[in-house]
Amino acid sequence: MAQIETQGILQDIETLVSDQLQVVSYKWLSRNYLVSSNDAKRLLQEFVENHGNSLEVVYTLSGQLKNNPVSYHVRLVSGPELAEAKEEFDGNCSVGVYSVQPCIPKDPATIWNAEFVQAEELHTQAPTVENCLRDNRFCGILNSFVLRNVEGTPLSTAGPQLKTKLASEPSKINLAHQDSVILKQQQNKGEQSSPKVGLPAPNVVKDVKSESNGIGVTHQPNKHPADKEKVAPLPANKKKVQSDKSSSASGGSLANLWGRASVKSKSNSTAENSNLIPTHTGASAEAQICAREAEAGVISDDDDQDVNFKRASGSEVTRKRRVVFDFSDEDECEDAVNLASPEYPKGKSCQELKESSKTLVALKTNLNFDEQVEDKPEVKEEISVDGKSDPPCREDSTVVSKESNSGIILTEKTDRSVPEKDVNKMDKLATAAKTQIDAGIILTEKKRNSVPEKGVNKMDKLTNGASRSPQRRKILKTRIDERGREVTEVIWEGKETEAKKADSSATMKADSSTTKKADNTVTSVTNRPAAAQKSVANTGPKNQTAKAGGKKAVNKDPKQGNILSFFKKV
Amino acid sequence: MLELRLVQGSLLKKVLESIKDLVTDANFDCSATGFSLQAMDSSHVALVALLLRSEGFEHYRCDRSISMGMNLGNMSKMLKCAGNDDIITIKADDGSDTVTFMFESPTQDKISDFEMKLMDIDSEHLGIPEAEYHAIVRMPSAEFARICKDLSGIGDTVVISVTKEGVKFSTRGDIGTANIVCRQNTTVDKPEEATIIEMNEPVSLTFALRYMNSFTKASPLSNTVTISLSSELPVVVEYKIAEMGYIRFYLAPKVEEDEDETKPQV
Repeated sequence: MAQIETQGILQDIETLVSDQLQVVSYKWLSRNYLVSSNDAKRLLQEFVENHGNSLEVVYTLSGQLKNNPVSYHVRLVSGPELAEAKEEFDGNCSVGVYSVQPCIPKDPATIWNAEFVQAEELHTQAPTVENCLRDNRFCGILNSFVLRNVEGTPLSTAGPQLKTKLASEPSKINLAHQDSVILKQQQNKGEQSSPKVGLPAPNVVKDVKSESNGIGVTHQPNKHPADKEKVAPLPANKKKVQSDKSSSASGGSLANLWGRASVKSKSNSTAENSNLIPTHTGASAEAQICAREAEAGVISDDDDQDVNFKRASGSEVTRKRRVVFDFSDEDECEDAVNLASPEYPKGKSCQELKESSKTLVALKTNLNFDEQVEDKPEVKEEISVDGKSDPPCREDSTVVSKESNSGIILTEKTDRSVPEKDVNKMDKLATAAKTQIDAGIILTEKKRNSVPEKGVNKMDKLTNGASRSPQRRKILKTRIDERGREVTEVIWEGKETEAKKADSSATMKADSSTTKKADNTVTSVTNRPAAAQKSVANTGPKNQTAKAGGKKAVNKDPKQGNILSFFKKV
Repeated sequence: MLELRLVQGSLLKKVLESIKDLVTDANFDCSATGFSLQAMDSSHVALVALLLRSEGFEHYRCDRSISMGMNLGNMSKMLKCAGNDDIITIKADDGSDTVTFMFESPTQDKISDFEMKLMDIDSEHLGIPEAEYHAIVRMPSAEFARICKDLSGIGDTVVISVTKEGVKFSTRGDIGTANIVCRQNTTVDKPEEATIIEMNEPVSLTFALRYMNSFTKASPLSNTVTISLSSELPVVVEYKIAEMGYIRFYLAPKVEEDEDETKPQV
């Protein structure tokens, strides 16, 4: 690289850090200036040497820990803690500059916001556009077993493998996924998903870290071949889900193979990951959430296909941390907990959503879990990236109607997943190793505590309704209610095929979610045209009133502090 | 043997008037240092601490520390029988279950004697740690009382925010919102009319106006009120009692939370 160019980049970095107060990580640098990740690290190192005293540096350390030599750890530490952190590593560990920033952010997610946004942009580019994220050209880690074939279906001979944990850039696999997704859309999902999952540890890491990258397309993968095979009417959904599972387990086709691989690798990787990248996951998730939130707000309004639920739930979801659980098999689940970023494939989410939506309560089992969990992230994505993720889904021939609704379903799922998560997860997540994850979960729980169960029950119903309901258009209306709060109503326009029942449930749900919202803004699904209207009208107001009443009743005392909590008896 | 002679009997009357609505029963603790009371309201949200130092009494005799449980309503009834200019003497014998209030008119023309039964009260004496407050506002007590009264017509709670600009009292109710800002003002003829704000860091706390209004019943005791605020601590509303002590009201802040977020849905 020419010296001049280097100088230019260094100056740019300085501007970014000192003037725009941006966090500049090597990943961001690599993608932004199209240099390899190693070069980016070198540049940052150089920059730190020149300007080290006026900024904060976050280093990435990787190697074996002294107290846990078995697994490979990657850790981010701030400059002052570098020496101390090195001590904890056994022997030599590699040290690189991860990012430079004007100050250490309180919220670790900030570290990754920039690169997340960047990755998102890259992923939202037209599918045919080759960008550095898709072809993984700057990644230091390549997996020769992962190849792209013409159809975009990844071929790999390698089963689950554990590699280096840190994959900074999207892997080929992702690319493959994307392609396949684009081409085959739903049908491919199964295959794609499996590959994605199947990616060795690096991938997992990637997911966690660079999730930001995997927006729409990338995520689609996790659907299994089942989709292909079983592309069938709604009733089949349940079966589908199950079938997915089974298929992956049995491992008949290549896709299955992948699926299985993915499962295994994931579980493994996750286990390891918990040690390795705990902070990251959390951070990433948060970062995404943040990013999503911002986007969600804006985009949701525009979404035609997204249903009310989506909006409500979506907003909610965005607020919370997402935990992605991968339960490949029932028992493996425990280890499989992954704090993944919302990046999971949208396509997948769509399909899954469909499926899951159909799968009723009965599906609460692990399958649902997986899907749902994954869905969440996807949902986010959808919200943020609506354009991309949605189109492919809709195009699917098999489940056209569903597809169109995919947006809706997604949202619903999200909601559902949340509650379930809370309930089920807690139980399943016992492992101490995952403290971080747990923490994350707990957080979510807390936030969601208020409405956990509703979500679950309603979700099912909702899903059904939503999934089937044909195209509708949602419109947001904002008004000020009698209590002086801003109420955002989602109004549906368009034909409605769904059963009233579904609607009502849906509305209910929407309401619940609304209530959940932290904001004063209450989003409620009110005016629904046609059949839905009745139910909506009833449910909506009811809920609101109930809520209001509850508040008032409860308010005074709960909020009032007790003097005894400040002064102790003598 | 206990004998406390208070020349300015009206002080005691005012004290009782200021706390009897907040606390129904309380123990008066008499020791060599003074006559004090500490009590919480029934909901344990507010605490009142009264101190009348022994130096403030014309005659103060307290052989040994004694705690007298009184019903403040009854005590108030008796004290109302005293004229504003009367000299009040509180007397109690060791081991006695009564307390005697003696009122002497300024001219010594009339001497009244009231004996009141004491009661056993489970006292929960709280240790109140010394604390550094983030902001201390001193302002005319009448002004504060007026603000609290006005705001209570609009909302149930008052948010007291102290910034460099001044102290802001704001409320929100069904009919609307209200904000009252008092700026620091030291250029006044009478020092008691000054509004003085000492602020180490900005504070904003929410309180129930009902209690604040109750506190302001102590306004007759003093021309100025001192409001000490600190996040994480109850607010202290203090009225000095002419040279001899103080009455302090502690009020736990309302927990500020996003109700929508944390409130379980019904």
